[in-house]
Amino acid sequence: MSSRTNHDRTISDGSHDAHTLDRVSAVNPRRRRRIPGIAAAIGAAIALSACATDAPQDTWQPVGENAQKIHDLQWPVFLTAGIVGVLVFGLLAVTVLRFRDKGQAMPEQTHGKPVIEYLFIAIPAVILAAIAIPTVGVVMALADTDDTECVINVTGQQWWWEYDYEVEDDGTICGFAPTAAEAAPIVTSGQLVIPADTKVLLRGTSRDVIHSYWIPRLNGKRDMVPGRVHYLRLSSETPGIYAGQCTEFCGLSHANMRMETIVLEPDHFQQWLDNELEPYTSPEEGTLAAAGEATFITQCSRCHQVNGLVDDRGTDDPDDDTLVVSYPDQFVYSGAAPNLTNLMGRNTFAGATFDLLTDECRADVWEADPEVFGERYLAGVTEDCLNEIELREWLRNSPAKKPMYADAEMLTETDGKTRGMPYLALSEDQIDELIAYLLERK
Amino acid sequence: MFTTGAVASLAGTVAYGVLAEGTMGTIGLVSATVALATLAGIVIFTRDANVFADEPDTFDGAAANAARPGASMWPFALGLAVTTMTLGLVTYPAIFILGAILFVAGIAEWILQAWSERASADASHNAEVRSRLAYTAEMPVAAAIGLGIVIYSFSRVMLGVPSKTSTIVAFSIVATIVLILGAIVGAKRSITAPKITALFAVSGVVLIGGGAVSGLNGERHIHEHETTAYIAAKDECGAEKTYADKHASQTVAGKAGNAEVRLTAAGTLVHRKPGDETDRSSALQLPRSNANNLLFRNDSDEERRLVIDLAPDYEGSPPRICTTLVDPGGVQLITVNFAVPSFAPEITDIGGYRFYVPGVSSAELEVVVP
Repeated sequence: MSSRTNHDRTISDGSHDAHTLDRVSAVNPRRRRRIPGIAAAIGAAIALSACATDAPQDTWQPVGENAQKIHDLQWPVFLTAGIVGVLVFGLLAVTVLRFRDKGQAMPEQTHGKPVIEYLFIAIPAVILAAIAIPTVGVVMALADTDDTECVINVTGQQWWWEYDYEVEDDGTICGFAPTAAEAAPIVTSGQLVIPADTKVLLRGTSRDVIHSYWIPRLNGKRDMVPGRVHYLRLSSETPGIYAGQCTEFCGLSHANMRMETIVLEPDHFQQWLDNELEPYTSPEEGTLAAAGEATFITQCSRCHQVNGLVDDRGTDDPDDDTLVVSYPDQFVYSGAAPNLTNLMGRNTFAGATFDLLTDECRADVWEADPEVFGERYLAGVTEDCLNEIELREWLRNSPAKKPMYADAEMLTETDGKTRGMPYLALSEDQIDELIAYLLERK
Repeated sequence: MFTTGAVASLAGTVAYGVLAEGTMGTIGLVSATVALATLAGIVIFTRDANVFADEPDTFDGAAANAARPGASMWPFALGLAVTTMTLGLVTYPAIFILGAILFVAGIAEWILQAWSERASADASHNAEVRSRLAYTAEMPVAAAIGLGIVIYSFSRVMLGVPSKTSTIVAFSIVATIVLILGAIVGAKRSITAPKITALFAVSGVVLIGGGAVSGLNGERHIHEHETTAYIAAKDECGAEKTYADKHASQTVAGKAGNAEVRLTAAGTLVHRKPGDETDRSSALQLPRSNANNLLFRNDSDEERRLVIDLAPDYEGSPPRICTTLVDPGGVQLITVNFAVPSFAPEITDIGGYRFYVPGVSSAELEVVVP
């Protein structure tokens, strides 16, 4: 009751508002002078952020042929839209300020000016047509795949990308014939490796939900839909690493579903290819890595495939080896887990979320000139450069490191299968062994 | 203070208990005595005893002099609802829900009726007041129930007739009769309400009766159409025609499928993938643990089907799947999910993955699952 009385009193005599206004007006002059400065600072910060050099996912720095086509289209479109925007908002501001109510007489009211009306229709129509014609042309050009030189299959799943390289009719992969080994499909993840100056066709799909593949500096984005195959052209003349990000919300760790495309000079790509096809070599007996191999078989191989890995335990016959085959479809909702055959040949792990290289070594690769980039990338992860902290944390408790739907109590809707890697309760000794083993996988 | 019946019942009970010595009979008679005594107590409590004729105020205010409530079916409905709910507790939840709905409806209707009867001293006005409120809910519900009964009865009749062709005949006859009757009613200048009511009543009885009879007789046998998974499970992926092949679609669109596998006129299998217009006879590479939607196009002169053998005895995966028989020039979809890679022992033991066409020995296509 009393509050209503006070409220009524405040409204009736306006004392509260008047007091507030007096207080504000007493302070305002100084603050008011600051406002333009603050606004200018914020505007400058926003504008200057466009000049950032460390912006690996910048569409305004195209490298690929298709990205260049998009760029060539988008800058005049943005320019036009910017001019139109400035004109419209400028005129609006002028109108509001200049013709605001100052007690003047009502101006003359007119209507029915055909010239103005026709102009207001014609100008937007011309602008839209000027944008539409090249847009349609670019869309058609981006869909052109007739001159494909290399085909790679891309499969998205929560929350990483798998790549498998097809063997062509002539026994080559992306036009490169293996030097020593026989050509066979290559399966890798996280980093897509392609030869420079080659028109690569990605055939993409998904194993669980809709994802979207986007390497901004190489091309536009493409949705990857379960049960469908969509394709996307990538190419670059310049060796280097080009980062990307899943751009279709796909669950808990969508923000951590990254990808990197590695462009290598042809001779470096040949080296990478040959390395990928090299037969599996077991760690030297009695070493920590050998113990890690056994740990890998018992703890990891149900989901993770290492090509050529055999299990000779429980038999004295050296020829009686059992090929270790993973069955991730029985444990993981998407039915897949990254192939770890040459893990240390990559720079990243866990869906390109974490670096396998230390900051210094990573910068050494990322900031390398195109001429030396291939050599540095192909060096892979050495013992000195291994980012052991991140890898150790991941093996210790992966769901804590990267949010994943892997809680055993929340798996009824996925029929007991995890999304992503579950907590494995590995001992520190097992982690030491696994790191030693994985370090040799390159 | 006891009524004659209660006294007589008490005396009879004592006499029976002493002379006949029947325990059950005595219990029954004691129960009857208690019931009659209770009724007697209620009557005595409510009958306004000892009212004198020279006390008009007392006479007018007596409960027995109050206006008698009208006849109501809702207490009966509530009793039925409670019985239904009890029955539902020991049988099916649906029966309990039905009883609960009836209970709520009965309570609402009873309250509404009691309220309307106190609206005025005029019974017809009270009835109108009740109708005005109740009809807004009663009419749509009654219409829905009536329509539901008609549709359900009609569907029983349609499903009960011996063949699919008979349903067309029966439907045509019913539709014709309805049309003729409608035309007759429309042509007559005047028709009395009882005649229309009788017509609807007879139609309703015939329809509901027919539905009941058909429902009791059961539905005719309707053949379940087999899927490709079914014929695969039955191992009917041969060159012979099965029932599932009879009405299979021959025009499947799957532009974004993983690949198109084509049986050429020369009897070979080739494949083509999205983004590549070239026919290839080399191995077809497909991803593992994923639904690969593939088109099978039959460019041969005979009906053919595409078959692939998968991992035998692998949990959750059939050992073999196939398309239906595809007409010459036709297209059919086949969805293959490879649970295990090509290099797994269970697959190398069967010679690897390969598409083949029964009856065409030259039609084979290797499939690689990395």
